[in-house]
Amino acid sequence: MNIREKQIMLLALRAGELMLKNGAETARVEDTATRICHAFGIKEAEVFAMPTGIFITVNSPEDHAQVQTYVKRIKSSRIDLERISKINAFSRTLTKQPVSVEDAMQTLSHLSEDIQFAFVFRLLGAAMIASFFTVMFGGGLSDFFCSLIVGTLTYVFHSLLAKLQLNWFIEDFLACAVATTLTLTLTAIGIGRDIDPIIIGSIMIFLPGVAITNAVRDFLAGDTMAGLSRAAEAMLTAVSIAMGVILVFQLYSVSGGVL
Amino acid sequence: MLIQCICAFLSTVGYCFIFNIPRRHLIPASFVGAAGWALYQYLTAQGESKIAACFAAACLVTALAELFSRICKDAAILFSIPGILPIVPGAGMYNTMRAFLARDLEQTAAVGYETILMAASIAVGLLVVSSLLRIVTAVASLVPTRTE
Repeated sequence: MNIREKQIMLLALRAGELMLKNGAETARVEDTATRICHAFGIKEAEVFAMPTGIFITVNSPEDHAQVQTYVKRIKSSRIDLERISKINAFSRTLTKQPVSVEDAMQTLSHLSEDIQFAFVFRLLGAAMIASFFTVMFGGGLSDFFCSLIVGTLTYVFHSLLAKLQLNWFIEDFLACAVATTLTLTLTAIGIGRDIDPIIIGSIMIFLPGVAITNAVRDFLAGDTMAGLSRAAEAMLTAVSIAMGVILVFQLYSVSGGVL
Repeated sequence: MLIQCICAFLSTVGYCFIFNIPRRHLIPASFVGAAGWALYQYLTAQGESKIAACFAAACLVTALAELFSRICKDAAILFSIPGILPIVPGAGMYNTMRAFLARDLEQTAAVGYETILMAASIAVGLLVVSSLLRIVTAVASLVPTRTE
């Protein structure tokens, strides 16, 4: 196992890690990492990815006694589809036009830098989701503005929570509790009339749509383990959202509307 | 109905911002979301069950996502994830909770059952269309080799 092979493995590992962290389905991660290994001439590479980790094993072409394995544990994940798209394209160009391992590593580390939409854009996104869903579920104009405020503030709160690196269960739970509290407060002081569409709109941001989609895609690709864990994630997220809303409603009714 | 579609389009744009969809895919991805929601609304207005409507909408979203992934040459999840989100039964979940809190167990069971089936029908819709597409591409890849 020479230095070059190690570098290639690290490159494949890094690409796979980045994709998993940004919400790609496991089959795509395995495909990309394998493709990178093949592009640099490593024929015998096995990649096994799960939502929580990635394993790469390479059999050295010259010396068959040498088998090397790397394991990378994936901890946090968030969704950034642009990065997935870019890394996917990157691995495809690698197979077409060979570059040096160092150059490829450089391109990849460039891709891993923060290229997200500015926070303002995401905030706008959150506000749009909350407010337009409120209208879709039968809210009026005042409800539209109410959920615009609720959606924005909830998203700010959720982003701040994410900095603390708790787990997503607690983050979603607290964010939905805050959304419900804000809705009840704002409707009490007269902004917005109908609480149901406002709360529905505000919790739409946290719904596990990505987990559902990826679970199905994982099952379809034959990755039953990954599919099951994503399906469990989807269910737990739904439960934590429900719990957040229920808690505040219960407190509200127990305290007689003082909250 | 038109307002519904515009709202669905704009809220899918919101999802595109949050999930950082590449900017060039913003309009197709949002169109997928609006189309799914429009079909869902149309079918429920026609008196179809919410479950059937969800299934049909999920099928449409997946088919459109695969279509746009071919046209724009990018991964299908870039279009199916924002597209599927408007039909995920957030309202059903909320109504289940409200019924539960009101100690109306009958209603909880009815709405909860419907919500779970809606989520399942989305999954099945995704599954069916992607599987069909796999069969089609597999067969299509066989045909040219036979004619050669």
